[in-house]
Amino acid sequence: MSLTLFYFLGIAAIYILMSWAIYIPYRMGQLHFMTVANMAISAYFAAVATLSWGWPFWLVLIAGTLLGALIGWIASFAIGDAPCFAVVIVGFTLIYLTKTIIENTEALGGPLGIFSIPKIIEGTSAANRHVILIIVYLLVLLVGYLIYRMDHSRLGRAASSIFIDRELATTFGVNVKKMGMFLQTFGSAIGGMSGVMYLFIMRAISPNHFTFHLIGVCMTMLFVGGYTTQWGVLIAAPLLWGIPLILPESVQSWKIVIYGVLLISVLVVKPEGFITRPFLSKISHRIQKILFKKVEDKI
Amino acid sequence: MEVLVAQIFNGLSIGSIYVLLVTGFNLLLLVAMIIHFSFPVVVVFSMYMAWITLQITGGNVLLSVLASVVSAILINMATAPLFQHIMKKRGSVDINATMVISMGIGMVITDYLSHNLNHGFPIAFPDNFTGAGKGALVNLGLIHISFGQILTLGVGIVAVLGLFWILYKTKHGRAFRAIAENPDGAKLVGIPLLKTGLLSYALTGLLGGVTAVLMAILLGSASPGLGDQLGHKVLAVSIIAGLGNLHGGLVIGLLLGIVEAVIQGYWAGSWSNAVAFGIMLVAILVKPKGIFGTKL
Repeated sequence: MSLTLFYFLGIAAIYILMSWAIYIPYRMGQLHFMTVANMAISAYFAAVATLSWGWPFWLVLIAGTLLGALIGWIASFAIGDAPCFAVVIVGFTLIYLTKTIIENTEALGGPLGIFSIPKIIEGTSAANRHVILIIVYLLVLLVGYLIYRMDHSRLGRAASSIFIDRELATTFGVNVKKMGMFLQTFGSAIGGMSGVMYLFIMRAISPNHFTFHLIGVCMTMLFVGGYTTQWGVLIAAPLLWGIPLILPESVQSWKIVIYGVLLISVLVVKPEGFITRPFLSKISHRIQKILFKKVEDKI
Repeated sequence: MEVLVAQIFNGLSIGSIYVLLVTGFNLLLLVAMIIHFSFPVVVVFSMYMAWITLQITGGNVLLSVLASVVSAILINMATAPLFQHIMKKRGSVDINATMVISMGIGMVITDYLSHNLNHGFPIAFPDNFTGAGKGALVNLGLIHISFGQILTLGVGIVAVLGLFWILYKTKHGRAFRAIAENPDGAKLVGIPLLKTGLLSYALTGLLGGVTAVLMAILLGSASPGLGDQLGHKVLAVSIIAGLGNLHGGLVIGLLLGIVEAVIQGYWAGSWSNAVAFGIMLVAILVKPKGIFGTKL
């Protein structure tokens, strides 16, 4: 497998996970950008744990995910039921604080970051890359399954009801604070997990990665794909990350402008994004029709 | 003690910039009902327009001030239909969607600035624009008060007073406040919501242009990332004060400027920003709905 393909597939998986990390709290209308700070904190934690303490990959992955969840859970006590804009600003502030601390701490490599992260298995680099891709896509499957279960349970319906009408949801007995705490913790855990996997894909880490650009890209993937279902991100992330890579270099450098224009256009023309619930049910009905017709023909 | 006094004065100047930005932001929030997170990015864009005009005209200050004000008004008016469209489509005002649109506008403008203007490098304003060549107007030991600081503070006070005069003493101001208090009631008594909303875009554009000129004079430079950082601070100030609370924004904006300047007096560069952000984070976590109460 070429390095280019490895990085495309690896980073696409990270974008899917990160966009899902934002999608989960947005189920109840909260833009929880703290997940980017969780990603940075867990990635740096993983780098230190691997290089200085000699922790194995699996332990680092579990600890990094739990660390993300812990930070998200603590913050959620204050912002679990806060309005969207307060959650946004807490996320931005934590990103800025994390970046400043990293850039000014020599033990974390300062502005240059940390390099020479070891492979997760003994053997060739190619074998290591294959194993990493298998793990990251297994994680995508696992997280996707958990979100699917959540979306199709009472929790998902409760989150949707908060998104549509918070007061009505409260009247129906939905505990907005508890729901916010659960969704924010879940999103932060995925942010932490993405950070650890990002570290082992790149085998280096720098504070420059965790910027407002990353938020912009994930937000575009979520809103263009469609924020009402989990499937939009799954399609939009690889496409939006991949298409600029095959464009001429002069166009590639305008990637963020293209994302920005796309984000604005989709919000104006198709506010719920391309993959919506009615769109999915239409497709599922068509598939059922085709399948039933085949069965009827056989009979 | 001298350091403290000097830094408090510095803080008042930068605080008056925050006040102008927060007032513009709150006005759009109250009247047009949008969270224009990237309003400070528009202001930074106007700083760039002033700089380009200075380059083209060989340092004509008047034309560059005009370019700054006109560009801020034009961008605000040009983006207004995007926000209005979202609001119409959703049936009721969807503030989250307007914030995301605003972030998208910010992404486009910031990336355009970092690609196209001055090759992405920070820009520096000449001395004839900033008045830096004149030196300090007041020199008392460690306390140096520059022309730019006095001008920023003076114009900042006049601009905010002017805005409050418009809001509380004119017919348009009453329309603004009526929409802010009760949009349906305002519509019922014949206030044109769309026209008044558009007027608020123009007014905040004017305020943004003036702020851009003051920032250029006070800071003497600008970079593409400045807008994002200011946007972050403005939203934080607005939330701490209470979203849409004009008087609260005035107090917290000035306070943030003073706190930042005092910390800078005793702490090294980037750490001082981190401390200021830390204080803001604690304030938001403790009172996510604002100290003075929201006016939404």
